[in-house]
Amino acid sequence: MKSRQPAAAEEPATEAESGEEVAESSCGPVELQYWNPFTGPDGPFMGELVDAFNASQDNITVVMTTQSEYYTQLGTAAASNTLPDVAIVHADQVATQAFRNVLRPIDDVVAEAGIDGADFPTDVWNAGQVGDSRYSIPLDIHPMTMFYNADLLSAAGFDAAPTTGEEFAEIAGALSDGTNNGFMVTSGFPIRQIFEMLLYQYGGTSFNEDGTEAAWNGEAGVQAMNWLLQAQSDWSQPNLEVDAELNSFKGGTVGMVWNGIWQTTNVTGEGVEFDGRATAVPQIGTQMAVWGGSHQLTLPTQAEPDPCKDAAAGEFIRYLLENSVTWAQAGQLPASASVRASDEFMAIEPQASIAAAADAVFFPPSVPGITDAYAPLDEAVSALMAGTATDVQAALDDAANRANQILTENRDNYGDAPSGQGG
Amino acid sequence: MAVATGTAEQVKQRRYQKRTGNQLVPYLFIAPHLIFFLIFVAYPFFYGLYISFFRFDFLRPEAQQFVLLDNYAKLFSPDSIQFPVFWNALGNTVKFVLYSVPPLIIIPLLLAVLLNTRVPGRNFFRGLYFSPWVLSAAVVGLLGFWIFQSQGGLVNFYLVRLGITPPRWLSTLPWAWVAIVAMTLWWTVGFNMIILLAALQDIPRQLYESASLDGATNWQQFVSITLPILRPVLVFVIIITIIASFNLFAQPFFMTNGGPAQATGGGSTEPVMLRIYREGFERNQLGMAAAMSFIVATIMIIFSYTNFRLFRTRE
Repeated sequence: MKSRQPAAAEEPATEAESGEEVAESSCGPVELQYWNPFTGPDGPFMGELVDAFNASQDNITVVMTTQSEYYTQLGTAAASNTLPDVAIVHADQVATQAFRNVLRPIDDVVAEAGIDGADFPTDVWNAGQVGDSRYSIPLDIHPMTMFYNADLLSAAGFDAAPTTGEEFAEIAGALSDGTNNGFMVTSGFPIRQIFEMLLYQYGGTSFNEDGTEAAWNGEAGVQAMNWLLQAQSDWSQPNLEVDAELNSFKGGTVGMVWNGIWQTTNVTGEGVEFDGRATAVPQIGTQMAVWGGSHQLTLPTQAEPDPCKDAAAGEFIRYLLENSVTWAQAGQLPASASVRASDEFMAIEPQASIAAAADAVFFPPSVPGITDAYAPLDEAVSALMAGTATDVQAALDDAANRANQILTENRDNYGDAPSGQGG
Repeated sequence: MAVATGTAEQVKQRRYQKRTGNQLVPYLFIAPHLIFFLIFVAYPFFYGLYISFFRFDFLRPEAQQFVLLDNYAKLFSPDSIQFPVFWNALGNTVKFVLYSVPPLIIIPLLLAVLLNTRVPGRNFFRGLYFSPWVLSAAVVGLLGFWIFQSQGGLVNFYLVRLGITPPRWLSTLPWAWVAIVAMTLWWTVGFNMIILLAALQDIPRQLYESASLDGATNWQQFVSITLPILRPVLVFVIIITIIASFNLFAQPFFMTNGGPAQATGGGSTEPVMLRIYREGFERNQLGMAAAMSFIVATIMIIFSYTNFRLFRTRE
């Protein structure tokens, strides 16, 4: 945990009077507590953004705190009524945290800050909508990314990374020579995410639209799973544990791997001794789709909401969105389409060449406890990849049945709408 | 005479206490422990029992609902989603107890016997074998992952050098259990060794001297002198080791994440403590998690009570 305090010179005490003159309302200097889960190398980039915001104006001081065990921290803070003023929440957690009274609706703040949903890809924007209210604003998108060993590819006579299923199969096949693996997938994380991506590429979805039933056991799911099993037997190795593909890739014996964009610094550039590069994942199925996550900005629940702090939070959030180019350097795609179109962003590699993926990223339905319903799918996909289950259709059906039971239990448990909605 | 004075003394004491009203004194002596016991053990225990009868999420008091025995009923009904994963996890924990307790008794006993002799550098070895015990469970789990991982992990690196095709330690059976038990042994062997070593040092040397004069071999001395004298301590070590193994959590959490996964739900190395954690803190079903905890606790209480009785009648 680290916190970032402004330098003493920036303390707002001397600037209070001027600040009051500028502001039309009666708001004095405001201090905002801001929590995020950026414990990795991405933390300093966010710190830089916060410092820049504090220096850019006189009235608002943002104090950033980086927490690990993030949702446990948010939960205990909610129980003791010590939640921060602004917090990052992952897209698939927004509904759960809204129903658990950790987050509050922010329709007014969004409107006042002039943030327009049309500037974001539909799916990532919709992830912040729970019932009739908006609970979050997307800051970034972190898509599944293809990392490849350009030295191995060029040695086999390939100048460019594959973008289609045929190209992918050709390169993976050519590189798999008994010593090297053309492509490598594990039986652990992120294999379910890769399965889901292929499922969407073959025209399927994980859940029905309102998130009441699992839908991965249709024809698209079977196609996706069969492609993965074939890829494993043709190009990869059986029974690999989590991170095995990354460790092998770093050893220089693997042509291509798929993992989150956050692995960029780990497996490209100075992280490896060969020419490791990142690019968008290829289109294997009949349409383009990319698995991804998103960090979203939220206002946690307060016993007595302070209109001055809410206005300040709106200003801070807008600043983060408009300046998310700095954040992109941490290995993220800005959620805002206008920022992604800017020249500054287009100059950042490999993020710029992955950026096309942002519009193809899908998100689960925004219902509470949706991540619970993924557990049976995680188990089924892992078991199929590990060979402890062999009947694809039966395993996917069984996982869907159990997910449906979980979804029913969750509906019963969480109810129809967060208690904070509509009084 | 001695008995008579003793009784007279006690009567005097009782009179004294009655006169001065000092019955409180003993309670004052146990108060420091009692207060912490009440706050950190007794209250959470009964509060846990209480919430196991509810649908409970501490952040949604409005949704709290008394369900009587519903949580328990689900855990005993084969149709519920909790049934297969809970009993699978409990089975895994029992397996781990069976795999880990025998080596966790035999190896420390052998080490203790060895280090109780005049081996050169024995203090160094005592420290060496004990040192992993000071590490936290998370450190041991992460170390285990990096030692046993398949792509250039320490163990596989050397196995390949020796021309052996290494197994996938973390993602196949039975190797995942082998790796978990191996890390547990490395971590906790020193603790049992120290307790047994202390007990060994209390055995009078003359017993061994007279035995060897009578021509007893080392093995005969071990079986006829060491083991019988060590028995009470050995029983104690076995009981606390079983309880410690029953609480397995961090090693599979970090090394296998409960895997290899099972298509029917849960994982082949997912211990019951990890399942309870997931139910309570990932699914936020704290009432159900409390019910699971109470089933596990009941098993442990019955087990400990039985052991206690067996131990006492033999004394």
